[in-house]
Amino acid sequence: MRIRLTIVACVATLLASIALYPLFKTAGWFGSGLGAVLTVGGAGLLTRRFRLPAVACLLISVVALVFYLNVLFAAGDAFLGVVPTPRSLSSLAELARDGWQDSFRYAPPVPVLPGVELLSTGGIGLVAILVDLLAVRLRRAAPAGLPLLAMYALPARFREESAGWLVFLPGAAGYLALLVADSRDRLSGWGRPVFSRHWSDDVRLRDRPDSSPLAVTGRRIGLTAVVLAVVVPLAVPDVDPHWLPDADGNGPGGLTTVTTPDPLVSLKRQLVRADDAVVLTYRTSDDATPDYLRMYSLDRFDGDGWTYSTIHGDKNARVDGKTLPAAPGLNRDSSLLRPVTTSVRIDAHVRGMSVLPAPYPPTKVSIKGDWRVDAPTLMIFSPHETAGGRAYTVSSVRPSPTYQQLEAAVPVPDDVASRYLAVPAPMSVGRDVIALAHRLTATASTPYDRAVKLQEWFTKPGNFKYSLDAPSPRNAGALRDFLFGSRTGYCEQFAASMALLARIVGIPARVAMGYTSGERQADGSWIVRTKDTHAWPELYFAGVGWLRFEPTPAGGTGQGSATVPEYTSPLLLPGAPTSGSTSRLPSTGQATGGRSTTGHGSVPRRRADPLDPAGAAGPLAAPRHGGPPIGRLLALLALLLLLVSAPAALHRLARVRRWARAATEADLAHAAWEELRIAAVDHGLPWRTGDSPRAAGRRLTEALSLDEPSAEALNRLVRAEELARYAPAPGPGAGLREDAFTVRAAFAAAAGRRGRWRARVLPPSSAAFPRGVAGRALDAFDRIDSLVLRRRRHSAG
Amino acid sequence: MSVSTHGGIGRGLDGLAQISSKILGAIESVIEGKPDVVRLALTVLLAEGHLLIEDVPGVGKTMLAKALAKSIDCSVRRVQFTPDLLPSDITGVSAYNQELREFEFKPGPVFANIVVGDEINRASPKTQSALLECMEERQVTVDGRTYPLDAPFMVIATQNPVEMEGTYPLPEAQRDRFTARIAMGYPEPAAELEMLDVHGGPSPLDRLQPVARDGDVRAMIEVVREVHVAPGLRGYAIALVTATRNHPELRLGASPRATLQLVRAARAYAALDDRDYVLPDDLQRLAVPVLAHRLLPTAEAQVQRRSAEQIVAELVERVAVPDHRR
Repeated sequence: MRIRLTIVACVATLLASIALYPLFKTAGWFGSGLGAVLTVGGAGLLTRRFRLPAVACLLISVVALVFYLNVLFAAGDAFLGVVPTPRSLSSLAELARDGWQDSFRYAPPVPVLPGVELLSTGGIGLVAILVDLLAVRLRRAAPAGLPLLAMYALPARFREESAGWLVFLPGAAGYLALLVADSRDRLSGWGRPVFSRHWSDDVRLRDRPDSSPLAVTGRRIGLTAVVLAVVVPLAVPDVDPHWLPDADGNGPGGLTTVTTPDPLVSLKRQLVRADDAVVLTYRTSDDATPDYLRMYSLDRFDGDGWTYSTIHGDKNARVDGKTLPAAPGLNRDSSLLRPVTTSVRIDAHVRGMSVLPAPYPPTKVSIKGDWRVDAPTLMIFSPHETAGGRAYTVSSVRPSPTYQQLEAAVPVPDDVASRYLAVPAPMSVGRDVIALAHRLTATASTPYDRAVKLQEWFTKPGNFKYSLDAPSPRNAGALRDFLFGSRTGYCEQFAASMALLARIVGIPARVAMGYTSGERQADGSWIVRTKDTHAWPELYFAGVGWLRFEPTPAGGTGQGSATVPEYTSPLLLPGAPTSGSTSRLPSTGQATGGRSTTGHGSVPRRRADPLDPAGAAGPLAAPRHGGPPIGRLLALLALLLLLVSAPAALHRLARVRRWARAATEADLAHAAWEELRIAAVDHGLPWRTGDSPRAAGRRLTEALSLDEPSAEALNRLVRAEELARYAPAPGPGAGLREDAFTVRAAFAAAAGRRGRWRARVLPPSSAAFPRGVAGRALDAFDRIDSLVLRRRRHSAG
Repeated sequence: MSVSTHGGIGRGLDGLAQISSKILGAIESVIEGKPDVVRLALTVLLAEGHLLIEDVPGVGKTMLAKALAKSIDCSVRRVQFTPDLLPSDITGVSAYNQELREFEFKPGPVFANIVVGDEINRASPKTQSALLECMEERQVTVDGRTYPLDAPFMVIATQNPVEMEGTYPLPEAQRDRFTARIAMGYPEPAAELEMLDVHGGPSPLDRLQPVARDGDVRAMIEVVREVHVAPGLRGYAIALVTATRNHPELRLGASPRATLQLVRAARAYAALDDRDYVLPDDLQRLAVPVLAHRLLPTAEAQVQRRSAEQIVAELVERVAVPDHRR
C-alpha cells in the first residue's frame, strides 16, 4: 500500500500548494485544498489495497475528487448531500465558470469567492492525483515534480514579485522528501547487506537495511542544490531586458514588478455592463473639459493585440508626496503647460483596481498606501493594494502645444523609437495594412500631419460605425476585418488600429486605457461610470511628449463621453497658418513620396529646417531619457572588471593583513607558512591539509625542481614552522617574509604562464572562504542528521 | 665520554648524538644495509621498551640483537626458546643451599641489561608468559620474593612468522608489551655481496667492541625523557591510536599502553635525530612498527589479505596533522 510514500506525496503536494498564496487575498483556500489532497491520498491507498491497475487508480481518484468537490460546493443539490446528481454537477460547472471569469476580473490577489475556491481546490486536487499516480502508483518520483512545478508557474505568471524564495523552500523540501522516501523504499528491496561490524550494529536494530548513511549523502546533495537554487539567482543580476543598456531609467536589482492580466480583456465587459455602475468621482481645477483618466499604457504590439511590457517600481518609486519622474519627451519649461489638480475618489464597490486612473502626465500623486510609479510610462500601480474606496489627489500638467511645436522636426530619441515604433513583420500585419497607412498619409509631410490625417480618416462620417456588438479583436485578422471589412467596432478597435497605423508611418504610438472625463454633475464634480471605460491611442511628438488622439466616434452614435482634443485640429492651434490644409504647409523639403516607399517603421530623423519659423532646434529640443548606451556599457564593463578583480584584491589585502598582524616569532613563522600554503594552492601545486610541514615541503620539492636558493628558503620555512608548532620555543622570524616571497616567485616561475595568470586574477585560495562557509553549513546539517540517527537508534534499542 | 643532563637538554643532546652515532656505526659494521632497522632498534632501547624482531630464518635477526647488545658494555644474556623450556629457566629458581641451610635464589638469564630471546614463539605459552612480568614491571617474583631488574633492561626477542611450523603465536597481551615489532627484510643485492666478503673471514661480531657503557645508556634515556612533545602532537598520537579502535577492518585496536609507547618512542626517535622536540613525522614513522603488531584484523580483512601494517599506514595518511590552530 505504500502508506509512508502516500503520506509523503500528500505532504509534498500541500507544501507546493503554499506557492499559490500570493494569488489569493485570504487563506481560506488552503483548508479546502488540504481536504482535496487527503481525499486523493485516501483514494490512492484504497486502490492500492485492492491492487487495481493504474488506470483504475486514476479514475477512482478523479471520482473521489469530484465527490469531495460536490460535498464541499454543491451539497444542496446532491443526493443525500453526498452523491453527485446532474443538478449538483451542473451547479459545480456553473460555479467553475464563475470562478474562471472572476479570475480574469480581478488582478491577484483575488478574493476567495466560491468559484475561485472551487477552481483552486480542484487544481490542487488534480496535482495531488498526478503526484500520487506518478510517485506512488507508478514509482516515478522524479517526474512527479512536474505537476508540483505547475503550481509554482501560476503565481510566477501573474505576480512576479511574490514568488519569493521563502515560498520556494517548502515546496523544494517536499519534493526532496518525496525523492528520499521513494529511494528509501527502493533500497529496502535490496535485502540485508553483509558489511563490516559497524554496519551490522545498525542492521541488528531493525529488520530493514540501514539507508541512513546514504540518506545523509542524499540530503547533503539536496541541501546544496536548494541553497544554490536560492542563492545563485539572488547573486546573478536580473536579466531583465530593461536593465541592459538602452533601458529607460531603471537601475539593476531591487526592482518590483507587477503584471496583471490583459487589461483590454475587461474593457468590453465594462462597456456593456447593464448596471453602468459608478467607478469614480472627481473634482478638477481644469476649467475646460478635463482630460481623460489614463490607467494603462499598452506599448507592445505582438501582431495580434496590444499588451504592456512589465512595469517596474521598487520601494523608492513610491509616489506619495514626491515629484514624479519627468514625462518622456515633454519640455517642462514650456510656458504652454497648464497645471491641473484632480481629486479623485474611487467608488467603494470597485474591486481589483491596482492601477490608478489619473490625467496624463501626472507630476505628483498623494495617496495613502504603497503606490508606485513606473518611470517610463508614469503608470501608478500598487503591487498588493487596490484602489477601491480610496481618495487621492493628482497634480498633472496639460500641454497646449503650438502648431510650431507639433510641426517641429525634432528627432525621436532612440529609446522611444525602439520601444514604440516596433511593428511585427509585414507578413503578420498584412501588406495591405501597411499600404493603407502609407496611402492615407501620402500627402502629409510631418509626423503631426500624418497623425491628423489618420484621425480624420477614422472619424470621417460614414467611414466607420461604432458598435458594441462587434467582437473584441483578439488577433490580426479581426483588426484587418475592422479596417477593410466590417468597419464596425468600438474604442478598442479604433485605438488599436490607429496606433498600429501610426507606428507604420513612423510615429511612436501606444494604446492607452482608462476612462473618459465622464459626466459633469451639477455641483461641478465629475462622475465616471463603467460605460466611460475607454481606449485611445497616444502618439509621441518630441518636445511635447505623448498626446492623446481620438479616432473613436463621439456623441450619441459613438462613445458618449469621448472628446476630440483641440490640438488634433491644426486650424485651431495657436500659430497655425491661416490658410490651406496641412499638406501645403512649409515642409522640411523632403520628398513626401519617398517615404511611402522606404517602408514602415522608419524613424523620421530630419534636421530642423532653417526656414522653420519655430526654430525647433531651440528650447523645444527633446530631452533624452536614460544615459547614452555607451555610458551604460562602460558602467557594465567597470562592474564586470570590479567583480573579476575582487578575488585578487581580497587576496592581496589578506596577505598584507597577515603580515601586519604577526607580532611574535611564532606568528611570523605561521604567517610565512600560510603564505607558502596559499602560494602552492594558487599555483596548482600539491598541498594536503593533513600534511606535516616536513611532508608538505617534501611534496613540493618532489613536484618542482627548485633552484638552490629557493630550495633553501623552502627548507627554512619548513623548519621555522616546525619549531613554531612543535618545539618549546620558536626559531627566529627574521628573513621569513623574504623567504616566502622567494618561494612564491619560484612557484610562479614553475607554474607556466596560464598558472601564473590564474594565481594573479582568480587565485584558487580565495575560494576557501565560501567553501568554508558551505562546509560549516553542511557540518551543521550533519550534526542534525546524527542527532536524528542517534534518537532513532535509541528508540530502536 | 659520559652523557650529562646537566646544563640543559642541548648539551645532553650533543652527548647523545655522539654516543648514538658510535653505537649505530658499531651495529652497522655487522648488519649491512639496514640503517632504518638499526635506528629503530636503538630507538626502542632509548624509549625503555622491548623489541620484537620478526622475520623468516636467516636474515640476521639474532645478529642484530647480539650486535646491539655487544656494542654496549653491559650484561647480556641470551635465551634460546624451545618447546621444553620452563618458566624457571628464564626467571631463575630458589634452590636449597645445604651449607647455608636456606633457600637461595639462583637468578635466571632475565637478570641482565639486555636479554636476547631467540625464537620466542617456539616456547610454550606458559614460558612465554613468564616474560610478561619481567618486561612490564622490570622485576621478578619467585616464591613470594621480588627481585628488581637492572636498568637499562631490554628484551630483544626474535620470532619466526606465525605461519611457520612448530610455533606458538604470542598472545595479544604479550605482543602488547613489545614497544615495536620490526621486520628485517632481505638485504639488497649489494649489501648481500658485501656481507659475503665481510663474513668470509672471522665473524664481525667477534671483532665488535663495546662503544658505550650502561651508564651512558641510562643518561641517554634521561635525555630522551626531556624531549618536548607539543600538546597538539599528544592529541595527534591519541587520534592515531583511536583511529585503530574505530576502524571497521580491525577486530582489536591499540591499547592506551600503545599510545604511551608511541609517544615515548617518538621522543627517542626525535633525540636520535638531534632534536629536542617531537615532530608529527616521528609519530608517523613509528606508527607502523609500534602499533601494527598489537592489532587484530577482522576475518573479512584477513580474507582480503589486508595486513595490519597496511591498515595503519592508511590511517597515518588519513588522520590530519595538527597545525598551529589546533
